[in-house]
Amino acid sequence: MEKLIRSLKGYLKIKVWGYSPERFMNLCSNRNILLWNIENHDTYYTMCISIAGFWRLRPVTKKTKTRVAILHRYGLPFFVPYMKKRSIFFLGLAGCLFFLHMMSYFIWSIEITGNSSLTTDVLMDFLEENEIVCGSRKKDLDIEALEKSIRRQFDIVTWTSARLDGTKLVIQIKENSRKTPQIEVADGEGMDLEATKKGKIVDMVTRSGVPLVKIEDEVEKGEILVSGAVPVYNEDTTIKEYLFCKADADIYLECGYHYEEKFPIQYQYKVYTGNEKKISYLRFFGREWKLPFQKVGFDRCDCVVSENRLEPLKDFYLPVSFGNYRYREYTLLEKQYTQEQVKTLCQESLDRVIETLQEKGVQIIEKDVKIKKDSSHYMLYVDFTVVEKTGILVRTKTENPRTGEDFQETRE
Amino acid sequence: MISKKEQMVDSLKLPKDLLLGASIVTLTGNHEAWIENYKGIIEYCDTFILLQGKTCQICISGKNLSIDYYTNEDMKISGCIACVKYE
Repeated sequence: MEKLIRSLKGYLKIKVWGYSPERFMNLCSNRNILLWNIENHDTYYTMCISIAGFWRLRPVTKKTKTRVAILHRYGLPFFVPYMKKRSIFFLGLAGCLFFLHMMSYFIWSIEITGNSSLTTDVLMDFLEENEIVCGSRKKDLDIEALEKSIRRQFDIVTWTSARLDGTKLVIQIKENSRKTPQIEVADGEGMDLEATKKGKIVDMVTRSGVPLVKIEDEVEKGEILVSGAVPVYNEDTTIKEYLFCKADADIYLECGYHYEEKFPIQYQYKVYTGNEKKISYLRFFGREWKLPFQKVGFDRCDCVVSENRLEPLKDFYLPVSFGNYRYREYTLLEKQYTQEQVKTLCQESLDRVIETLQEKGVQIIEKDVKIKKDSSHYMLYVDFTVVEKTGILVRTKTENPRTGEDFQETRE
Repeated sequence: MISKKEQMVDSLKLPKDLLLGASIVTLTGNHEAWIENYKGIIEYCDTFILLQGKTCQICISGKNLSIDYYTNEDMKISGCIACVKYE
């Protein structure tokens, strides 16, 4: 702070030599002339002094028979005349600062994290519909409303957080890892557990409801496994009424999975010729300028874009980016898969399938792999025997039996 | 032998630096020294600074000694201070 005030007021670095420089310093302090950064250089002293103090030095120098010379001038009073000489440069600097200041009122980058099943494109489209795009005013952005609208629009999103970091809008979301359809159960209504697949029951633990099947039973898809209607019997073993509940059970089913995939015998692959071309570009407010007189001139080529956004400060993005398009020429060659290659391809494909099944919590008991070949394709057939958890909740269709009173009511 | 003035200042618990004109030397490590209650500089060079206090002279010796600021009230000396001597 002290330095800033000194710089604003301006100060000088002076050289003092002569008969008695020590007395010069003592007199300065007696007359309240502040001296700082006093250094001894054998034959002379250097020190800093304020401009106001410097104008009061004449009687002191006369008294102490010392001489004073200015070495450097510091601070705003000396900087202003310097600025006048280079007015265009400083006008440009001021213009640049003004541009940066104006740009800080807008959003220039949007970052979405935490999404896996919801793609970034889908979210970007949603933001665009809500008029939140690169170039929107920060002032118009209602962060709380945005968070709410994301949660309302996408059921899978369980948590959202949006914040502005400089000119960057950061949206963090959390998705529900297992989407379970929520069925609301009204009072007096029950839920049954229904088989999702055809198979044989290998294990079963019922927590609530009436089990309608047992271990070793073969069940069809859609068959009710556990009923949510618990019967209450009369003395004559007829059903008096049903008490409805939500059926809950762990039922493991042994069932089959079939998987097949085709690989063409002939395939095309790219051979890069080694010819490359780079075309630089500059993008300003979404408009792109490429370097002139540059043509790609390749029949077939890959294009790799590398772009750098201008970020003068951390998280302070500007609508200016530059980069280049890198074109790599290639030719297409046709080749046939060898048996070894087909085996590796099939193995890789099989590993992927097994991994997805295991992620679902499916236990593989047996697998039967066949690779067949016809005129144009290799075919991979895999039959898995697996044990997996089954059961989906559906509304019970069982109704309470009509009582004598009900019959009377209907007659009336 | 303590003088009567000193005895009185002691018993009344008055600040000694004000009434007796004693210099205050505050050292931070061996790199910085703040000095208050002095009259002026007698001699100053790279290796030692001789100050005139109100009752005695203070000699500060060391290496690369420089005066960060110098006012009527206090001063700050920085450098590698080796010795502070009262003469």
